[in-house]
Amino acid sequence: MLGHLFAAEWLKLRKRPLTRVLLATFLALLVLYLGLWALVIALQEGALSGGRLRIEVLNAAQTAQIQRQLSFPGIFGAVLGQVNSVGGILAVILAAGALGSDFGWGTLRVQLIRAPARGLYLLAKLLALLLALLCGILAGLALGSLIAVVASAALGLPSSLDGGALLALGPGILRSLFVILPYVLATFVCAAFGRSALAGAGGGLIFLALDVGAGSLGSLGTVSDAVLFVVNLMLQPNINRLVVQNATLFGLDPTVLASGLDLTRLPSLTQATVVVAAYCALFGYSAWRLLARRDVTGAG
Amino acid sequence: MSISSVIETEELTKRYGTHVAVDRLNLRVGRGEIFGLLGPNGAGKTTTIAMLLGLVRPSAGRAVVLGYEVQANPVAALRRVGAMIESPAFYPYLSGYDNLRVLAHAGGLPETRIAATLEAVELTARARDRVRVYSQGMRQRLAIAAALLPDPELIILDEPTNGLDPAGTAEIRALIRNLAAGGRTIVLCSHLLSEVEQLCGRVAILKAGRLVAEGAVADLLRRERGLRLRVEGDPARAAALLAALPWVHGVEQQNGALLVDAPVDRAAELNAYLTRAGVPVAEIGVNTSNLEQFFLEVTGDT
Repeated sequence: MLGHLFAAEWLKLRKRPLTRVLLATFLALLVLYLGLWALVIALQEGALSGGRLRIEVLNAAQTAQIQRQLSFPGIFGAVLGQVNSVGGILAVILAAGALGSDFGWGTLRVQLIRAPARGLYLLAKLLALLLALLCGILAGLALGSLIAVVASAALGLPSSLDGGALLALGPGILRSLFVILPYVLATFVCAAFGRSALAGAGGGLIFLALDVGAGSLGSLGTVSDAVLFVVNLMLQPNINRLVVQNATLFGLDPTVLASGLDLTRLPSLTQATVVVAAYCALFGYSAWRLLARRDVTGAG
Repeated sequence: MSISSVIETEELTKRYGTHVAVDRLNLRVGRGEIFGLLGPNGAGKTTTIAMLLGLVRPSAGRAVVLGYEVQANPVAALRRVGAMIESPAFYPYLSGYDNLRVLAHAGGLPETRIAATLEAVELTARARDRVRVYSQGMRQRLAIAAALLPDPELIILDEPTNGLDPAGTAEIRALIRNLAAGGRTIVLCSHLLSEVEQLCGRVAILKAGRLVAEGAVADLLRRERGLRLRVEGDPARAAALLAALPWVHGVEQQNGALLVDAPVDRAAELNAYLTRAGVPVAEIGVNTSNLEQFFLEVTGDT
C-alpha cells in the first residue's frame, strides 16, 4: 500500500508547477551565489583586466577558500551548503504546499476515502518529498559541476576529482537531506495543525528563522560545560555540526568565511545525528498524531 | 449486522463540544437500495456521511460499512466504496485523467478503470484538460467518475447533480438508476427532493442530528394521503358537514380546497353526502402529498 501511495504522491509532486518553480529558483540562486564568488575572484586576480586592475576584498585564506568552492571537489561542499541554507527554505515551502494544499483544496478527504491509512499517507508524502529534494540536490550538483569546470578553466583554479570525493558524495547528499528533514517535518506539523499551506509555510519558516536565531545562543556555551550541554541539545548547533561535516568532507573550512563559527563548541557528529533524529521523531510523531486524530472536513 | 445490510449504524453520535451534530443515529441500508439521506442545512447529513467514510471520528456508537466497522478497519470497509462528499475536490493543476490516476494509485486500483469511468460520465473528450478550466458541471462529473473508480459496491453521492444543466442532470440520474440496476447500493444526499423522490426507494430524514422519519418513500407519502376536494358554494359549511361524519378524522381548508382526513375508498360516498346536503362537489381526488410537503412537515419548516 505504501508503494501505491508513494506513486500517487510522486505524481502530484512532479506535475506540480510549484515544484518546478522552486527547483528553478534554487538553481538560479546557486548560479548567482557561485557566479558572484567567481566574479570576486576574477576581480581579486585581475582576470577581467588582464592583470592591470585588482580589487582585493578578501585575505589569502578567504581567497583560497573561495577558489576551493569554485573547483572540484570543493564545489560539492559549496552546493550542499546551499542545499542546507536556501534549499531548506525552499523545502519548507514545498512541504507546506504538499500537505497544506490537500487541506485547502479539500483533496485530503478524497485521498483518505480511497486510502484511509493516514500514517501511510503521511509517510508516502514525506518519501515523495525527499525524492523531489534528492532530484533537486542532484540537479544542483550537476549545475555546480558545470560551473566548476568553467570557473576552473577561466580562472585557472587547481581542480582534481578523484574517486574519494565521488564516494563521499553519497554520504554528503544523505546528510544534506537529513539536515533538511526536521524542518520539513516541523512544516508538516504546522500545515496539519493549521490545515492549510499558508499555516505550513508560515510556521515552517518561522521555526527555521527562530532556530537559526537560536544558533547565536551557542556563545553561551563559553559560560560552563553544563550550559554548553544544554545549548547543544537545541537543533541549530547539531545542524551546524552536520553542515560543517559536509563542508570538511570536500576540503572546505567553514570557519574561514563564517568567523563566528567555533567548531570546538559544536557537539560531536554522533550527538548531532542522534539529536537531529530525535527532533525528526518528535515532529514526525506530532504530524502523524495531528493528522490521525483529527476530523477531516471540507476544504479550508 | 445482517448479511443484506451494506450500511448499519448503531447509536452513532458526533458531538462538537456541547453541540450534538448527530444524535444516536440508527440506520440500515440494504444491498441494492437507492437510499436518500435528507435534512435541512446543519441537520447532520454530511457529518453522518463523513463518519461512514472514516473522515470524522464518532463520539459514540459505531458505523459498519460492507461488514466492517469503519473505525476499526477503515481500509477493508472503504475498499469497495465510492464517494463524492460535499463539493468536488481536485488538484487544479492536474488534468481530469491525472486526478483519477492519483486516486487509482492511492487506492491500488488498475489505471485501466479510468477510461471506463470517464466514459460513463462522458468526460473522455476533456480528460486531458486541466481541472482548473473545468466548469462546475464537469467537476461534478469528474467527482462521480472518481466515485466509480474502485468499481464500488456502495456509492455515496452528496448533491450529485449540483451545477449540472437539465440534460446533464437527467444523464446523471439515469446513470444512478443504471448503477443501482447493476446491484450497487447508492446513498444519495440531495436538496432536490423531487430528485430523491424519483430515484430513491427509501429515505431517512434528519433534523438537528436526529432521525425524524425513515422508510420507503411510498409508505411515507401514503401516511399523508386523504381526500382533497373543492365545492361549489361555501367551503366552511361543507367542512362542518364533513366533520360530523364519524369516519372523517379531520378537515382542513387550504387555498380554497378542503383536505379531508378520510379513507380514500369512501370518496363516492362523501361526494353523494355533500350533494344531498346541497353542497355540490366540483372536484374530488386523493390528496397526494409529495416528498417536499412531507419533508417540510417532519422538519417543521412549514
